[in-house]
Amino acid sequence: MIPSSEIETELLAFLRRDIFAPETQLDGETDLVAAGFDSMSLVKTLLHVETNYGKWIPESEITNEALASIRALAATVARVLNEK
Amino acid sequence: MKNSVPLNGSDQLMRGFDFELRRRGFAGNQCQIILELAARISPEELENRVAALQKEFPMLNARVGGIFKPKWKIPPRVKAVVLVRVFLDEPGLRQKLFNEPLCVKRGVLMRFDLVYHAGAGMDLIFTWAHTLMDATAAEHFLTAVSDENMVLPKTNPQPSGAPKQWPERLELMKKSVAQLDKFCEQQPRSMGVRQLTAPRELQYRVEKFSPEETKTIRANSSRLCGILGDAQFHAAVAALELHRLHQKLGCATKSYILPMPVGLRPKGRIEPLFSNQIDMLMLQFLPEQLGAMEKTVASLKAQTAQALRENAIGYGRKLSELFSFLPLPVYMAVLKHGLKGEICSLFFGDTAAVNPKLENFLGVSVENFTHVAAVTPAPGLGVVFYYFRGELRVTIVHAKTVLRDNEAADFAAAIRNRLLNP
Repeated sequence: MIPSSEIETELLAFLRRDIFAPETQLDGETDLVAAGFDSMSLVKTLLHVETNYGKWIPESEITNEALASIRALAATVARVLNEK
Repeated sequence: MKNSVPLNGSDQLMRGFDFELRRRGFAGNQCQIILELAARISPEELENRVAALQKEFPMLNARVGGIFKPKWKIPPRVKAVVLVRVFLDEPGLRQKLFNEPLCVKRGVLMRFDLVYHAGAGMDLIFTWAHTLMDATAAEHFLTAVSDENMVLPKTNPQPSGAPKQWPERLELMKKSVAQLDKFCEQQPRSMGVRQLTAPRELQYRVEKFSPEETKTIRANSSRLCGILGDAQFHAAVAALELHRLHQKLGCATKSYILPMPVGLRPKGRIEPLFSNQIDMLMLQFLPEQLGAMEKTVASLKAQTAQALRENAIGYGRKLSELFSFLPLPVYMAVLKHGLKGEICSLFFGDTAAVNPKLENFLGVSVENFTHVAAVTPAPGLGVVFYYFRGELRVTIVHAKTVLRDNEAADFAAAIRNRLLNP
């Protein structure tokens, strides 16, 4: 069982390093789409999750609600990863 | 600012396209943004604003030089020669202005044409050399022209997010060559091979979608490509309709290559501004993958994920840099040889939402916004998607030597229909 908070911390580090400019302020509440997150960023993020946790998150799970914040995305990832 | 800055691979590729277009008798690789304004603006005010920016950024009058390593040579002083012209509207004027070359060799990298209508409104046509900057940067620059309080980044146009070490660069270059060779196993044959007898000019038409139509298209996109899948949906529609067009005109091809531009700037950053920060994700479709929308989308998604898995974004730019020390005619010859003559079946662009600050220009409401970009033959056909005020716009550009007017109109209508009814 991977806690959502752990995934959030990991995702934040990845997004700061590989997706967003260093000067962009990111935290758990950041609205990803409003910050400039696009389809390529999404595929990169899903690939990162697959590499790190060994599971591809189906795109059907990526809804508007899941992208409303980094915390919401982490919760979605955690839910899919923890599904049996 | 230094008096010279290097051209990155994307800039070099744009310069190569410019050379190729001019060699074939076209105006060059230049882009336009057209603002349809609700009221007239003063040419003097516009001239003063651009002149101030030119003084601040002498890069805007730079010339490409350097024998073995092409670079922008930035003049130490700028005389602020701003090309602002005024016209009265007449039929065919927009096409004429699009086909009028910029004198890039003399450092004229942009031009502003003001076209007065019979009523109160006017068009502002901003033309710039594609070697100078990409479309996203141009939107940002135009915003700065409009808003004198806006501060543009002072950083030099260095490549961002690109590997700097040669072993890593060479590795990417090798991968790029291998990928192109793989693509060429199913040799694409573009529309450019038709070469109709026609003036060597580019023509464009714009498809506009109402808010209701845009909503329907976004719902289609979301259903087929998921959230944030707009660009993929647009690319799939363009590929499918290109296949139909080839079939209709009897231009058989073993595959279609569609280069999908990817922005290389980290999200939340606009600099370096005077530089092309894009690379191409090369997608290949076989005719059998273009029978139905679902198949096309599935192939596109799989190729995108695979390219990102292999870190394939950045290949093209590195490849362009590999031969950049060569004189332009040799550079283009090497490039075309590597691409087996022609590899792009359609130029595709998706600049997403227009910068909302451009809904007003110098205090005047912008009624409509158009992006136009030159396309090289081959393939002589390009499609650009963008949103203005939440409404989708599609610009279809074609060389008159490649498509007849009625064929281009049919292609535009087919794209419209496919977006609404995929």
